[in-house]
Amino acid sequence: MKLPPFEYLEPSTVPEALSMLDAYRDKVQIIAGGTEVVNRLKLRLIRPDYVMNIKKLRDLEGIVEHEQSIIIGANVSVKEIRDSSLLQDKYKAIAEAAFQVAAPPLANMGTIGGNILQNTRCLFYNQSEIVLKGLDVCHKRGGASCLAVKGGKRCFSVYQGDMAPALIAFDAQCVLEKSGSRRTIPIMALFTGQGVQPFSQENNELLTGIIIPKQNRAYGSAYRKLRVRGSMDYPLASAAALLALGADGRFAAGRLVIGASGPAPKVVDRVSAALLGKLPEEADLKAAADMAYELSEGVDNLVLPGDYRKKMVRVFAQRALQGARTDMKRGM
Amino acid sequence: MEKFSLLGKDMKRIDTAAKATGEAIFSADLFLPRMLVGKVLRSPYPHARILAIDTSKAERLPGVKAVITAKDMGGDKWGVFRYTQDQQFLPTEKVRYVGEEVAAVAAVDEDTALQALALIEVQYEMLPSVFTIDDAMADGAPQLHDAYPNNINVRVKIDVGDIEKGFSESCLVREDTFRAPEDTYCQAEPYAVAAQFDQAGNLEIWMPNAGPHMKAKPLANVLKIPLNKVRVRKITIGGAFGGRSEISPADVICAFLARKAHRPVKIVYTREENTVATRQAHALVTRIKTGVDREGKVLARDITCHMDGGAYSSTGPIATSVPFLCMEQAYRMDNVRFTGYRILTNKPIRGMFRVHGRAFACGVDVQLDRMGEELGIDPLTMRLRNARQAGDYTPTRSYVASCGMTEAIIRVGEKSGWKEKFGKLPPYHGIGIGCNSVQTGFPMGIRGGSQAFIKLNEDGGITVITGIVDNGQGNDNMAVQIAAEELGLTPDDVQLISADTEVTPSDPGSYSMCETFIGGNAVRLAARDVKQKLFKIAAGEFGVGDDDLTVRDRKIFVTENPGKSMSIAKAVRIALGRNESISGEGSYWPDVDAGREWVKNPYGQLSEAFSFGAVIVEVKVDPETGQVEVLEATAAQDVGFALNPQVIEGQFEGGVAMGGQGGMLTEFLQWHEGRVLNPSQSGYLVPLAIDMPKINSIIVETIDPKGPYGAKEAGMSVAMSAAQAYCGAISNAVGVSFHEYPITPDKIVKAIEGKKKRENEEVPG
Amino acid sequence: MKEMKRYSLTLTVNNETHEVVAPPNRTLLEVLREDLHLTGTKEGCGEGACGSCTVLVDGQPVRSCLTLAVAMEGRKITTIEGLAQGGRLHPIQAAFVEHHAIQCGFCSPGMILTAYALLNENPNPGEAEIRRAISGNVCRCTGYAKIVKAVQSLAGEGR
Repeated sequence: MKLPPFEYLEPSTVPEALSMLDAYRDKVQIIAGGTEVVNRLKLRLIRPDYVMNIKKLRDLEGIVEHEQSIIIGANVSVKEIRDSSLLQDKYKAIAEAAFQVAAPPLANMGTIGGNILQNTRCLFYNQSEIVLKGLDVCHKRGGASCLAVKGGKRCFSVYQGDMAPALIAFDAQCVLEKSGSRRTIPIMALFTGQGVQPFSQENNELLTGIIIPKQNRAYGSAYRKLRVRGSMDYPLASAAALLALGADGRFAAGRLVIGASGPAPKVVDRVSAALLGKLPEEADLKAAADMAYELSEGVDNLVLPGDYRKKMVRVFAQRALQGARTDMKRGM
Repeated sequence: MEKFSLLGKDMKRIDTAAKATGEAIFSADLFLPRMLVGKVLRSPYPHARILAIDTSKAERLPGVKAVITAKDMGGDKWGVFRYTQDQQFLPTEKVRYVGEEVAAVAAVDEDTALQALALIEVQYEMLPSVFTIDDAMADGAPQLHDAYPNNINVRVKIDVGDIEKGFSESCLVREDTFRAPEDTYCQAEPYAVAAQFDQAGNLEIWMPNAGPHMKAKPLANVLKIPLNKVRVRKITIGGAFGGRSEISPADVICAFLARKAHRPVKIVYTREENTVATRQAHALVTRIKTGVDREGKVLARDITCHMDGGAYSSTGPIATSVPFLCMEQAYRMDNVRFTGYRILTNKPIRGMFRVHGRAFACGVDVQLDRMGEELGIDPLTMRLRNARQAGDYTPTRSYVASCGMTEAIIRVGEKSGWKEKFGKLPPYHGIGIGCNSVQTGFPMGIRGGSQAFIKLNEDGGITVITGIVDNGQGNDNMAVQIAAEELGLTPDDVQLISADTEVTPSDPGSYSMCETFIGGNAVRLAARDVKQKLFKIAAGEFGVGDDDLTVRDRKIFVTENPGKSMSIAKAVRIALGRNESISGEGSYWPDVDAGREWVKNPYGQLSEAFSFGAVIVEVKVDPETGQVEVLEATAAQDVGFALNPQVIEGQFEGGVAMGGQGGMLTEFLQWHEGRVLNPSQSGYLVPLAIDMPKINSIIVETIDPKGPYGAKEAGMSVAMSAAQAYCGAISNAVGVSFHEYPITPDKIVKAIEGKKKRENEEVPG
Repeated sequence: MKEMKRYSLTLTVNNETHEVVAPPNRTLLEVLREDLHLTGTKEGCGEGACGSCTVLVDGQPVRSCLTLAVAMEGRKITTIEGLAQGGRLHPIQAAFVEHHAIQCGFCSPGMILTAYALLNENPNPGEAEIRRAISGNVCRCTGYAKIVKAVQSLAGEGR
């Protein structure tokens, strides 16, 4: 498949990159590993005038431990995250998510920034001209229909990134820089919750780093993913959980995030209150998983039916909670 | 002294070193001087009349060297059979599926070619379309072709014995319907064609193919040049699996572009195009009614099968028949009626596929399992009770000379621990068995035979010239192995020229599993011809009879007196010294019923030999998610004789992956108004290394009287019976029979929920 | 169509340097196959899902069909053609041939390079690890059994 024509930009410093973004704004597409952007270009889902390679920006590399947090540069590869003993040990869900991204050659190429910022997907959207010509233009492509859901008034495309739910479970933040300023926002705030424009990032902003706060209690985490085969595939349902214990040995906090269920990851807010004060062995993880199910969304726009995928949110939410509980005991 | 030096041994294939280094050239790897890039414009509509095509802007684009439409071709309709001639290579009046070829360009590079396509203006008048079997057959449905009323493309009717009597005598009768949507070959290599003409109007063309001679004739016809001007060249081929046998519009388009541009042209298909614009595998709906006696022996069977054939015939009559024929070979059924329909829809074209008919074979075996259960007979015993035997005639009257079905079943049963496991496994843990059989070829008229030549060099080396084609299964190696064995040579002494229609004589190709049986036999006979000539010379020199000689290790010697020997080279030089040219020729035509025809007369000897396979699979199902963990597969096939055991194991292992792991768990095409939604490998999911179970391979040998050294075929019976074994194992694990395939996790979860619900309802209030 | 700027690139492939002039919309796969005529690396799907295009960049398996050639300056690229030395098969290639781990051969270059990278990173992988490492490479012919056997035959050997 042939790429469309474009101009190439390769900044060597962050200020240089930011001034290029300022100059070209919506005409530029950022590329790092390329595993998603190159495919979007080949399918003509995007036709930018400029493609800007940020892989040479040294400031976006490195996993650095600070006193109160761990900072991961946006260009750190999924492989490096997977192989990091620090993350495997203390941030299991994040390492597990990285372990389950696609297959090793793609994890070698892909970056954490790119994995977080991957666009939403749908059987009817990620297609080439052979398939789509002659059909109505869908919402995500700038039209007014939904091809997946007859009469659908909004976009039902699915966010299938593995890293974001795990990061959000840890309440991670991200640093967005533009010329002259930077802001730090929760990763959850990156998402608009809408399929047509899934991200709130401005077109002159560059995601440069991820900040994961350290936990100050005994805690455990896990990431569980449903896919058809044992490797390669995107999640059809996923969940990340973080459970923390108070000094009294009872749950002091719990965070459950579901993915592949709608255009953005979703924090299952009620879980924390439901688990608060319970002993780990007695906590009703099944009830917590039911809460996740209530937030789930699934239509027939991926490889397996939507109603099945919705049911699986409950199963994988429970498995993530159970995994977090096991991880917590391991750490104690 | 051992019987064979090479046959039956682990022989390293002659072609794989070049594949390991990347030197092997596939069609897309060809770069010819001044070669142009060809691209095809495709229909965006499933059914539409072509009102006008304006190519003028495309023709004027700098860098475009040729543009063709139907105007450039004769408009003749082609078909695999005389009675299925319905396809033009570029349509003149209408398009019948999304993706059908409409026009093509050749340009100096890909960017220009793509630009040129965008400049071709086609005016379409939309027509109503049909996408399902039922819609296509309904009264008043839009007709795809005038020649096929109600869009019924093929109807095969086979009726043997007395099924009503059989049913009346049965103690148990059941009727079920089985379904599966389309699947596809997904060969590793996407289709590609390169073509060039020389000054004398000779065409050289390269493409992945399952029989270059099968491609040459239609090319000669449509280009209106004689066969000797069409050279389909030898090329490394990245898999066929039943596809790539017939002429493809891409072949014809590439040749026409090359002729018009007076330059070589190469067309490389994307993965999408490989899925949509070559062939796919049929969707099936199969209704089976079977009656058995108290011992589980089948007394009658009535099968009606509808297949969704897509927009054109392709190998329609063959595809419509084969799933039934495989079953009638595998299992005894004296009273049987089969009615097969191939229905046309506005979807891409379907052809024969290695594991075609999962909704047919799995249906037969599901019924055997269920009826056996009612009778208190386990599935394996049910297979034994109905297994084909040597000396039988199939219902359509093929004599089965050699048959290892029973042995295959018994041996997989033993190896897998069937007796210890069946009915004794914990919940959601299951084991299942499937059996199948495949013919080695079928009557192919004037193209049903193979011929081989052998050229001898004065230093005793040879060149084997044969039409045998290798799609990756190891057929080239087989030809060398057989010739080397017959003539006491090492593989290094043998050069091979194969699958090149300028030089190699006609051969039916690897389609229909006949390459070993027919092509291999021809090579063996050619080698024997050479051997006889060499023996005559040596016999004369040694003063013994021709029968008193053996050839081995490059030497001809008197069997009882090995000291009396001469090198092959010497014998050759003696001949040449007498001014006698020496070479070998052999041809093999299977003794089949020339009058047998798929539709008009589906009776008579179909092929001389049949292979028989049995597979047992053990699985664990996760009841919460419906995911299947496949623990172990045990596969046995009666291959006649194992020419190269490692190669055969490779066929079994690949077959379990394709027919079982993929065919039963993950492979299906998804549709929207005639458009394939998952044409690429991110959407059409084939098994990965991490998904595959442990596979035990058991080679059964029955030494067929006609096969070369007793060999039959090794590529298909396991591949097909794997599907049935997976189905049986999952059904056994869940406690529910599955009638729709593939058995994806959502279906399993639904089945478990349904079963729980029924069990709760049965508990008294 | 606006003319794209063409870049002069120095690519290091199999320890040889090559001067290539390419516009930015060319993938590494296209440059390898069409400019350098190293056709051992294949296009099987064009979207990174099949693994036929796998090459090593600084020793790591990556998808050349998803890699921009212009981004590859200064990197060490290894294709299948870089394994055999002086006409002799690399042990991993020999193992694939000996164990019948190759049938049609289309997936083999990518598969062999991935296995080669695995053994460089871990000289003694177990079966599960081998399967996981090659699960980004689709093979339609072999069912993977003999590929795994071929890699296992090299595991544990000091190389």
